[in-house]
Amino acid sequence: MTPSTLAGLVGAALVGLGLYGLIVNPQPLRKILAFNLIGSGVFLVFGIVARKGAAAGFPFDPVPQAMVITGIVVAFAASALAVALILRLHEETGQVLLDDENPASLPSEQGAGK
Amino acid sequence: MIETAAALEPTFGGPLLVLAILLPVVGVLLSFVLGGRFAERVALALAPVGLVLALAIAFLVWRSGAPVVYNIAGLAPPLGIALRADGLSGVMLVTAALIVAAAGFYARATFATPEGSTEARAPFAFWILLQGIWAALILLFIGADLFNLYVGLELLTFAAVPLVCLSGKPETLVAALRYLMFALFGSVFYLLGAALLYGAYGTLDIVLLSGRVAPLPAVWLAAGLMTAGLLAKTALFPLHLWLPPAHANAPAAASAVLSGLVVKGSFVVVVRLWFYVLPALPGDAAQVFLGALGSAAILFGSVLALRQPRLKLLIAYSTLAQIGYLFLIFPLASGQHPWTIDGWNGGLMQTLSHAFAKAAMFLSAGLIAESLGHDRIAEFTGAGRAMPVTFLALGLGGLSLMGLPPSGGFAAKWLLLRASVAAGHWVFALVLLAGGLLAAGYVFRILSPALADGSLVLKSPPQRSREHAALALAVVAVALGFAPQEFFDFLQIGRMAVAAQP
Amino acid sequence: MTGSFTSPLAAALGPFLLVAALALPLAFVAAWFFAGQRRRARDLQWLAPVPALGAALLALAGGPFSFEAPALRLSLSLDRPGALLLAVAALLWIVVGAATFTYWKKWPGQRFAVCWLLTLTGSIGAFVAADLLSFYLFYALVSIPAYGLIVDDDAPETKRAGGVYMAFTILGEALLLLALALLAAGEPHGSLRIEDVVAELPTSPWRDGALALIIASFGMKIGLAPLNGWMPLAYRAAPISAAAVLSGAGVKAGVIGLIRFLPLGFALPVWGAALAVLGFFAAFYGVAIGVTQQNPKTVLAYSSISQMGVLAAALGMALAAGDASAPALVAFAAANHVLVKGALFLTVGAFAAMDWRREKWALPLAAALGLSLAGLPFTGGALAKLALKAPMGYGIAAILSYASATATALLMLHFVTRLAKTAHWGETARIPHAIPRYWPFFALGAIFLPWLLFPAVGHLSEALSLDTLWDGFWPVLIGAALALGLARWGEKLPPIPAGDTVVVAERAFKSSFALSGFFEKADARLRFFPAGGLSLVTIALILAALAAKAR
Repeated sequence: MTPSTLAGLVGAALVGLGLYGLIVNPQPLRKILAFNLIGSGVFLVFGIVARKGAAAGFPFDPVPQAMVITGIVVAFAASALAVALILRLHEETGQVLLDDENPASLPSEQGAGK
Repeated sequence: MIETAAALEPTFGGPLLVLAILLPVVGVLLSFVLGGRFAERVALALAPVGLVLALAIAFLVWRSGAPVVYNIAGLAPPLGIALRADGLSGVMLVTAALIVAAAGFYARATFATPEGSTEARAPFAFWILLQGIWAALILLFIGADLFNLYVGLELLTFAAVPLVCLSGKPETLVAALRYLMFALFGSVFYLLGAALLYGAYGTLDIVLLSGRVAPLPAVWLAAGLMTAGLLAKTALFPLHLWLPPAHANAPAAASAVLSGLVVKGSFVVVVRLWFYVLPALPGDAAQVFLGALGSAAILFGSVLALRQPRLKLLIAYSTLAQIGYLFLIFPLASGQHPWTIDGWNGGLMQTLSHAFAKAAMFLSAGLIAESLGHDRIAEFTGAGRAMPVTFLALGLGGLSLMGLPPSGGFAAKWLLLRASVAAGHWVFALVLLAGGLLAAGYVFRILSPALADGSLVLKSPPQRSREHAALALAVVAVALGFAPQEFFDFLQIGRMAVAAQP
Repeated sequence: MTGSFTSPLAAALGPFLLVAALALPLAFVAAWFFAGQRRRARDLQWLAPVPALGAALLALAGGPFSFEAPALRLSLSLDRPGALLLAVAALLWIVVGAATFTYWKKWPGQRFAVCWLLTLTGSIGAFVAADLLSFYLFYALVSIPAYGLIVDDDAPETKRAGGVYMAFTILGEALLLLALALLAAGEPHGSLRIEDVVAELPTSPWRDGALALIIASFGMKIGLAPLNGWMPLAYRAAPISAAAVLSGAGVKAGVIGLIRFLPLGFALPVWGAALAVLGFFAAFYGVAIGVTQQNPKTVLAYSSISQMGVLAAALGMALAAGDASAPALVAFAAANHVLVKGALFLTVGAFAAMDWRREKWALPLAAALGLSLAGLPFTGGALAKLALKAPMGYGIAAILSYASATATALLMLHFVTRLAKTAHWGETARIPHAIPRYWPFFALGAIFLPWLLFPAVGHLSEALSLDTLWDGFWPVLIGAALALGLARWGEKLPPIPAGDTVVVAERAFKSSFALSGFFEKADARLRFFPAGGLSLVTIALILAALAAKAR
């Protein structure tokens, strides 16, 4: 097994795990972690891509590395924004759930409930 | 195919593209530094400048009849990043500048920094976020590199999400969080797809890719992942879970920008993907599938709009339906057939007229909610007489949504209808008509009680200047119905599918 | 067409008048939005159709002319059928407008006045539009703002009528739009002119679909049974002035639509026969339901359904025979209906506001006006019947047209009876003083004005021959005998609700609301986060699979 195959498999596994968490887990904080897992998987894929550039004659293709760094910054910003929202929501309501089991408090049904 | 070499060459006026992006970015930074009430002044002062820049870029595109190109730092792709403005970019830039300006003008009353205090949280955030959204949209409209577009998409999300929860109420926080989560979900899909494309071809520049893309498994997978991710951000049915609460709960000026412009940002990227990057893919079935999702969105969104008791929710669900119309562009403008010209023009006309009509409607809805103290449609009796200009704006916007002449919505419907008849896509023709009927139903639901006689006491009369902001947008939506042939020729500039025709 | 020659005066002045005909009403609309001009706009808006009348008379006297504005993609033209209809429609709008807006100050209000002007613009435009998109614009304009003319009070019955009217109108618009798209698709050179696309229609691959949609959409406008449900409800709910212009002028947008969009110079026997059958069915159906009605306005509405059926039948016969002379003849018959039906609605208003028992001549005059529709000799209706004789031919259609004249006589005498019995039935609030005062002139004008127009389509000597007079007389005689029977045994007829089939349609429409509950439930499910996430993954996979699928 070559290192790139290994990296590819690990990347795929990370994406799969993250997807599962993002879809199934009801906790927003866990969803953020899952999102970061997928992100890491994607960055691994980019890493392999960078190695492919080596075949084209470069020692390393610099572009994917720049992309990964940008991606990490973006993912960090996203996580920070999400955490801030979660904190604020917790402050206001004392609980944090995306799908409310009690439909009356979902915004769209408000008008009907009023 | 466009001469690849020519499309990569920087052209005259290219630096304007950088300037267009830098302008709102500088605005954001200036607002941060100066703080307080200066955020509002900076945003309002830059809006007309941005409009002039957008018009200048559109003019250059029109005069040369070809895209305006700029390579950042003088480095040509694949190593550098290019900016490229074609007909599509031109009209979207102008649209964004107009709607941002109108929304900003309208928002002065709501988001003024109170007298006596140097800074208030909500106004400060609003003006910075508004400029942030504008910057991101410009980047999306002229970006020529798929990773660059990714950055634009993220910037757009980060600026749009906090706008939803400016009031800080719990339900708006939930709406914002759902929006953010789902948008991030879409983002990682897009990024994964981009990685696969880069792995296959070593570039993410749109023009370079269009020359290299071949039907390979990596490309199939990338197309699926990127498109799905973008659909999540565009809220195409059935990926709309975040849209109704987010658009209905945001402040009116924000809703206008979110519904009119923000969803169009990711839509334009889907268009770039399928018509500019992937035309070499034998993707007829996929394009029809996108059209089918759009049709489902039209029917589903319209029926739900019919059932909403509150005006803002009704308009939000109507956005869901109108987004569906946009996606009819994929089956009707793909390939190299004579009718694709109508399909393309119709799809873009729908994009523009919906942007103006919907922004006008959300601004009007905001005025109604403020003046009546609620936005329950059943209690509108007599409101038309009490605030005629507001309801005129709402009605003109509705006219365009219904696709009745004279309006941009009608022009769009007519072109799409002709394209679907010529292409033999009967289902889309029927959906177009059914969507118009349902839209008439929900517009009638709003206007019928409002036009009835009744005595109604307003909490406060709407401000004349804000009514005019809404009316101006509605008038643009109607005026688009009179667009001359030259306008449609402009929309074709830089459209690769056409260039590929012998 | 006999008059393709255009006099220099018409060629020079005509285009200007065409533009003015549309611009003047719109200028009045604009004036209503400036507070300082409102009073003046209100006092003068009855004059808005004057340029249209001028254009129509000029075209009748000097030959056809047209106006093109390529930048606005607007093309207008006025030929003989259009001019005939435009002349009388503009006259009706002027007369009823003058009565409504100059003699009475408390009613109507701004909304009614603006809707009046918009509907008027559409009514004029539909007769002069020469390309598909202009026609569609004016057709929408004559149909949709009319809602504001019909719904003028808050009674639940009125709101219901308005809702039903809008449902029919919007559906008709949608069908028409598809019809126009099919027409445009059948024209290989990309022209959108009505005459170009209709000339290509007989050989177009979309011919049958386009014809079916044309008949369905205009059929809804003219109340062709079974698409007639909105008409009785709307005319009953509308104020007298509105009912007069809508039934007289408004509905003719559908007639001119059929005249313009059916390929009448080209024989299409099957389609022609189908339209003729539909038309005759409506002609008798309208009378059959009409005689069970008690409200004079409803009776008149059913009479419109019946009369429009006769026109549709004539067009059907012409289509079957490939008769290119039919447009002007049918337009003349329709023009007669514009005047008579407008005057009949004013009659209802006049009788409600005056004491007809004291005016001995009132009832006979009303009867003569009504029987004009049945072709009573020396009335305009006799000329209309003469005009339709050629398209109807000599076969079974001719017999049916005599039978329909008889039936019309019966319905009109029923109308007069109801008028006499229900006079003073209370609806005086929205009847301007001028209507009872000048009603005799309106009625006499409607009976005799068609004589002035008839030379445009035929010879007056033919109209005065003994044969023609006898042809006009005996159906009325039989109709009168039947009317006596109706007066005697009429109570035994089953009561049928106004709008007949629409009651069933409304029920079906309401029950379809249950379906939307299903949509709401589905939406609640789809908006759960895990459902959305799964949809996202599924869509990505489907798209990838479809992208992989070779062509």
